[in-house]
Amino acid sequence: MLLLIAPYAFTQATQASANDDIVVVVNNKNPVDKMTRSEVIDLFMGKYVAFPDGNSAIPVELSNEVTTKEKFYKALVNMPLSRINAYWSRLRFTGRKRTVTIQASEDNVVQYINKTQSAIGYIRRSKLNKNLKVVFELNE
Amino acid sequence: MNKNGLVIRLAIVIVFAASIVGFIAGQVFFRITYLNEMELGNKEIYQLTKTVSSTASIATYLEDKDIATEVVNGLITNDIIRGAAIVTDSINIGSTGFISNQNTLHFDLHSPFEQEKKMGTLSISPNLDYIETRADKIGYDNAIALTAEAAAITVITLVIAYVVITNPIIATARSLHKIIPGTSERVVIPEYHNESELGTLVKDINKLLDKTEQQLARERNLRNEVELLEKRFRMLFENSTAPIVLTEPQGNILLYNKAFSSLVKEMAIPLKQSYGPYLIQLFADPKRLENTVQQAFVNDETATGEFKLCSKDKSKTLWVQAVITSTLTTDYKEYYQVTLHDISKRKKQLELLNYKANYDTLTQLLNRQAVETAIQSFIDNDTHFALILMDLNDFKPINDIYGHQCGDEILVHVAGQLKTGLRKCDLLSRWGGDEFVIILPNVSKKDIELVAQKLIQKIRKPFYLNEHDKSVSVTACMGVSFYPKGHKSLHDLVKSADQAMYSVKKEKDPELYLRFFDYLNNPDRS
Repeated sequence: MLLLIAPYAFTQATQASANDDIVVVVNNKNPVDKMTRSEVIDLFMGKYVAFPDGNSAIPVELSNEVTTKEKFYKALVNMPLSRINAYWSRLRFTGRKRTVTIQASEDNVVQYINKTQSAIGYIRRSKLNKNLKVVFELNE
Repeated sequence: MNKNGLVIRLAIVIVFAASIVGFIAGQVFFRITYLNEMELGNKEIYQLTKTVSSTASIATYLEDKDIATEVVNGLITNDIIRGAAIVTDSINIGSTGFISNQNTLHFDLHSPFEQEKKMGTLSISPNLDYIETRADKIGYDNAIALTAEAAAITVITLVIAYVVITNPIIATARSLHKIIPGTSERVVIPEYHNESELGTLVKDINKLLDKTEQQLARERNLRNEVELLEKRFRMLFENSTAPIVLTEPQGNILLYNKAFSSLVKEMAIPLKQSYGPYLIQLFADPKRLENTVQQAFVNDETATGEFKLCSKDKSKTLWVQAVITSTLTTDYKEYYQVTLHDISKRKKQLELLNYKANYDTLTQLLNRQAVETAIQSFIDNDTHFALILMDLNDFKPINDIYGHQCGDEILVHVAGQLKTGLRKCDLLSRWGGDEFVIILPNVSKKDIELVAQKLIQKIRKPFYLNEHDKSVSVTACMGVSFYPKGHKSLHDLVKSADQAMYSVKKEKDPELYLRFFDYLNNPDRS
């Protein structure tokens, strides 16, 4: 009852440059080719633990120090990181566990997804390689 | 205190009005309070909803029953909420026994990350009982406050009304009540009311009192004048020596003075309320009075005349000059004013004079002049009568022998004797010297003879002369004439009687004393 998470109007305003915006990627072998924003949100905010096709998904999270993480959430749900963290704290308090793997850098994310077919993560476009497939673009 | 008094009435009205206004205001306030409380309740619910909405959103977003239950339980801990429920496509979390009804408020719950996405509904039923109880409590408090306020205002109004209005009015009313109109007392203007309507009222009252006083003074003066005038009139009326009476036309006496009551007393008649019209019962000859009065009134004149009063006391003959006036008042009421002037004394003197003129001083018989007048009136009325002329025999020698004194005594004796032998209607007079004339109306010769015989016998009775210690006896000769029997005048009658009498005298027959005059013409028939 005393939660202070105010849902603000969702806008897609982001300061990322066109050539270096953030993209949501999966392993090339993953059957999922395209995802909607809602599907991305549902996976990262813990509503679902599987892709829309029913295969289980492992969201790959960056550690808090990486600025891309902040930019990602800003672009996805227009919320500062603190709010996102508070959201998770709130859920943890009620006993709900997040099935997520946390990587220290975007390069680690790339490596993890390269070897994990069910993983899904977010990186700057500049970090893309041939083993990854973009399912959602967070451009303006 | 007077229960109809101003203070009580004012108090009743104010208390009554305050109670009604208080009651209505209480009802209105309660209604307003109730509506306010309902609105407030809704507002509180909205606020609570806002507070829990993010958590509720999360619960619906994640379709997390635990979080939803937590939100619902959290909501129903509020007094104002009776029940709550969070419903999505897949979960339905409600408080115990929650049923949605027409008072239930529904809020859409959106995804915390995508505002446009509706995830479920939060339903909240307000606790109406609680709101009502709260409204009741506030209403009750308000009512108490209103009552206290009304009571305070009532008391203050009463005090102010008493001090500012009622008390001065009561004081004025008492002051006015004590004042006797016509005196110099005035109502005092209550303090601080010099310029108020009450002050004006008091001033006006005092003006009225001024006017009343003036008027009463004027009336008093007028009354005094009238009293003085009345006193004078009364004096005039009461002290009048002439009896004055005011009567109604039927005779009812309205006013009479002392002189009148003395007159009635003198007449030995009881004082009555009425003696008939114009006191007619007091008069000896009411017919004459009535004629006089009516004749005068017909001619619109004052009736006057000399009348004898019918005194019960026979020793007193009262004569009055009566003046009877008919007066018509301004309101057309008729009154008779009767004024009587006592003329008894004058009448008596006149009678005395009359007596002296008509009667012989020695014998108290009618004198010659009086009997002549009487005879003339008989003649005028054509009354039949006999005239006896009587002459005493040998009276001259008696006079000469015994003196005139004795002669007079004998004459008086004879007169007395003759008087006893006659009827009331007969007239006896001394004709002169020793001659007497007797008039006997409606008699026959036979009657005359009897009367003459009786008279002769009476005068023949011896008369004792004290002075001379001697008895004398008187005889007389009588001549008789009749009216009319050929006589036209008094003179003829007397002459005839005289001739008859002389013829008797000449014969000097002691047994002959009477002769009718017609004997002289025809002696055989007599």
